[in-house]
Amino acid sequence: MMKAIKRLLLLSGAAAAMAGGAAQQVQAQKADQITVAITEGITGNNPYADSVVLIGSIWCQVYGCLTRWDFETGKFVPFLAESLEPEDDLNWILTLRADWKRHNGEPVVAADVVHSIERSRNDPESMSQASVQYIEKAEPLDDRRLRITTTQKMATLPNYLATMQITSKKIYDQHGAKVADREHPVGAGPYRLVEVGIGSHIVIERVDDHPMVQPTNPKRIIYRMMAEPEQRVTALANGEVQIAQGIPPQLVSRVQQLPNATAEIVDSAEAMFIAMSPKTAPWDNPKVRQAVCHSINREGIARAILGNQVTLLNGPVGAGQLGFDPAYVSPIDYNPEKARKLLEEAGAVGVAVDLYSPVGRYIADRQIAEAVVPMLQDVGFKATLQTPEWATLWTNVQRGETPFYYMGRGNMLDPSPALAQYFETDASPRLKYSNPDVDALLQAERQEFDPEKRVAMLSKAMTAITEDAPACFLWLHKLSWGVAKGVDYKPSKADRVNGWEIHLR
Amino acid sequence: MLGYTLRRVAGTIPVLFMVSLLIFALVQFAPGDPVDMLVSDEATEEVRLAIRSAWGLDQPVYVQYLTFLKNAVMGDFGQSFRYREPVMQLILERLPASLELAIYSTLLAVAIGLPLGVWAASRPNSLVDTVGSIGGFFGISLPNFWLGILLILLFAGTFNLLPSGGRETWGLNVERVTGFLTIDAIIAGRWDALWDALRHLALPVVVLGTNMTGIIMQITRASVLENLQEDYVMTARAKGMSGRVVLWRHAFRNALIAVITIIGLEFGTLISGAIIVETVFAWPGIGYLLLQGISFRDFPLITGLVLVYTTLFVLINLAIDMIYTIVDPRIRMG
Amino acid sequence: MVRSSKTRKLAKALKSPKAAFSLAVIALLLLAAAFAPLIAPFDPNRQDLMLAMTPPQLAGPHFLGTDHVGRDMMSRIIYGSRVSLLIAVAVVLFSGVVGVTLGVVSGYYGGRVDSIVQKFLEVVWAFPPLLLAISIVAFLGQGLGILIVALASQRWIPYCRLARAEALSLREREFVSAARSLGAGDARILRTHILPNLIQSALIVATFAMATAIIAESSLSFLGLGVPATTPTWGGMLSDARAYISTSWWMALFPGLCIFCTVLAINLLGDVLRTHLDPRLNRA
Repeated sequence: MMKAIKRLLLLSGAAAAMAGGAAQQVQAQKADQITVAITEGITGNNPYADSVVLIGSIWCQVYGCLTRWDFETGKFVPFLAESLEPEDDLNWILTLRADWKRHNGEPVVAADVVHSIERSRNDPESMSQASVQYIEKAEPLDDRRLRITTTQKMATLPNYLATMQITSKKIYDQHGAKVADREHPVGAGPYRLVEVGIGSHIVIERVDDHPMVQPTNPKRIIYRMMAEPEQRVTALANGEVQIAQGIPPQLVSRVQQLPNATAEIVDSAEAMFIAMSPKTAPWDNPKVRQAVCHSINREGIARAILGNQVTLLNGPVGAGQLGFDPAYVSPIDYNPEKARKLLEEAGAVGVAVDLYSPVGRYIADRQIAEAVVPMLQDVGFKATLQTPEWATLWTNVQRGETPFYYMGRGNMLDPSPALAQYFETDASPRLKYSNPDVDALLQAERQEFDPEKRVAMLSKAMTAITEDAPACFLWLHKLSWGVAKGVDYKPSKADRVNGWEIHLR
Repeated sequence: MLGYTLRRVAGTIPVLFMVSLLIFALVQFAPGDPVDMLVSDEATEEVRLAIRSAWGLDQPVYVQYLTFLKNAVMGDFGQSFRYREPVMQLILERLPASLELAIYSTLLAVAIGLPLGVWAASRPNSLVDTVGSIGGFFGISLPNFWLGILLILLFAGTFNLLPSGGRETWGLNVERVTGFLTIDAIIAGRWDALWDALRHLALPVVVLGTNMTGIIMQITRASVLENLQEDYVMTARAKGMSGRVVLWRHAFRNALIAVITIIGLEFGTLISGAIIVETVFAWPGIGYLLLQGISFRDFPLITGLVLVYTTLFVLINLAIDMIYTIVDPRIRMG
Repeated sequence: MVRSSKTRKLAKALKSPKAAFSLAVIALLLLAAAFAPLIAPFDPNRQDLMLAMTPPQLAGPHFLGTDHVGRDMMSRIIYGSRVSLLIAVAVVLFSGVVGVTLGVVSGYYGGRVDSIVQKFLEVVWAFPPLLLAISIVAFLGQGLGILIVALASQRWIPYCRLARAEALSLREREFVSAARSLGAGDARILRTHILPNLIQSALIVATFAMATAIIAESSLSFLGLGVPATTPTWGGMLSDARAYISTSWWMALFPGLCIFCTVLAINLLGDVLRTHLDPRLNRA
């Protein structure tokens, strides 16, 4: 034993004597490789089984998705699909590109799309059933075209289908799901899968002859899980990673001061709000709800806790999201006087309320809720802060058992599904809000194929919701990404880190 | 002795059974729902029901438990809800990472705490005693995340000497034999990989080791002091034995019982409880896995992990008991 | 006279600088806890977002700075001593008594008793504290008492293993067999020969357990177990500081120092009392 230890010590000494660390060596050899520090996800090889947006974007790079959202034009642009057009109220025709091939040279065919819809729905491991829940059936018309039939008139179908990865039916039939995903991840995307380390990393490599790829895109991308923000910033500073997700507001200035990196800041598409379920007293009274919204000093919180890394909202969406009306200013401002008066009118002065907040789920969530509580107390609520563990809270919120909470709703580039989920009568159990005007607008909006008319209806619905105040819409967090100098990467509103959007200089 | 050992090992089975029953009840009745945690926010009620039934969660709890027991006896502990891999495979892949961390931390703590404790006992109130004690209490008074982040900032940031986290640099491609990276690197003769593994180990080991060093030093110091005052030590000293012989041969040996007990306890806690350190350093071990399991209400994963912990704890306790009989032959087990 | 010599020894012991330091710290803590409303310069929960994260000010009024929502650190530390000290002492006493009792019985009697106690210990040890806490909140609700039970639920284990080990070893020593052959009963042997010998190591475990209990309290309080999340505690302040370690050092340092001083003072006092009051030293 002692001998073994001695030998070990000698060896480690010898290793220490070697110049430089292995890490730096590997780094030096692979200058055209980048490492991205991410905050959550990587649950395995099944592309349908991870509901984290960023991980979905990795699978889209490997397998290819049908369309993708272009943030500059605010439209869906072709990816694997050339077009997705409505045929009539319920039927859509999807046409695939003719020129793109899978990494093994085989074409992507209509049967693959049908197969992928089926897998999203029926794979026992799938967590993407929601994206196909309005699809009645899908049938190939020929190799490149298929007809998709929806269960109801759905203007938002492209939205649902955009993030669906298209896997190969042939490989699946040959090997089954497990082996296909693990040993034959043959996609048609611009990168190919190299390795998945569950809960720790994903490595992808550039497909050099792919049409989406440019010579300046990184040859290899390593996505590494780093849960601790200080670690992500430090790793950025010492060159271990070149892109770091989720720089919290208090660390942004440190990243900006780094000699070798900078902070890229972008609005999120995740509305942060305080919800009040009208099923539960005192939230059945709109005046009490409005009193809450009037009591919150958003500027104060933004400055003190969020380093002003927010965009204040006048409704559920901000600039760049569908239905945003730049001219609209919400009448629900910070006005404690008015809040007190509303509460008096409602006869609810001194009413006891529990504000629920998650801890560590959203940027500075608990700190924000902590600051909101005295503001509520100030206008006459007897407010208490509750911070249950996330799973407990989230389950209760989804079941409508938590009446008053601070939370966020992501994936709101097109806010239609989120609005229905929260504010349409009986669409989901979570808020128990009911407003016939809002219902009518939301139902009509979903069935409107004319984008302009649709946006107008969305705006109108959102104004109605904002002023009736089943929720106070607070802000969109600005998301900060650390990006190393020499790496050209502009983060988008959605948490996507696509190799083809990264250029090395 | 062999009979006793076998009896103890066999005694693991009722313990495992009890633990599985209790943990099953605990996770089932804890608030929070795995389907709600894992499915997309937009999923409809039908979708949720379908998943629930695919995972067997629509069955009565006792049926779920009996199914679990039946499969567990065959060595199948189910599939993780979140990671969709067989639970035991997931755990066993990560166990070496946690064990490696725990072993090196314990070695560090013992290597520092034990000699310091003996030294402090032989010269109470000396500088070493004072500084050692204060350091130990300081180490325990600051949470692991504080020390961990501080070390990351200093050694990975300011001095840029060590990696900020993780277990290895990607792309070294060392063949996995034991799962212990330091050992695998030696087996493969890859000194660069060994150096890489040690560099990644350094910071988390220091954090965990710091916590443990204080208590090992204090227990050693107290036990040695205590034994130095025993009659037989006084007698030995009166008979003219040198201070050093008395210290090491008598006082230290008897003091070892308490020290070994503490080492066993701390080692056990390290294996299961390094959650914070594994999270801060992105260390791919079972502590982080447990955190994920609990956060997502991944019932099979939690159950599997707890059963693995139980087995480890039983084995550690058995090993410690065996060491007692070696250190102090008067102690009889059974 | 035995009594007067003991008193004299105690008096002498308490005059040593170590003892003076530890007594002073403990007295200060108790005073702070008892008279928090009188001493604290501010309401510990009064927020002022304009003053958030003010660094310590030598000239006041925020001598130790403010936290992320602008609450006065010093006031929070003073108020925090109440819950934190109470929890530390209660958890340590509760788990110490349970653990030492179980451990001594287990080690002294051995055999079947030992086997059952140790199996029980292994079962309890296996449960992840986080999961245990989540379930306890769900089933038992909130409350300081429940929090203490939750914190103590696994903290008795080290005492138990340690007491058992000492008992295993001591029961074979000459002085125990001598006492037994002189007709001393088990209770007497346990009380006069076994227990005194393991007080010292139990005390050390206790001091370390105090620190970890104060820190662990915060994580349980955040889960809704125990004290309201806004009640100031040292552990809670440390958790608050997590996000601001590199930007606002004072948020973690001061509560950490308080825990450190508490633990150090208690350890020193224990050490002083032991060296000066050890029965075997009196014997010699």
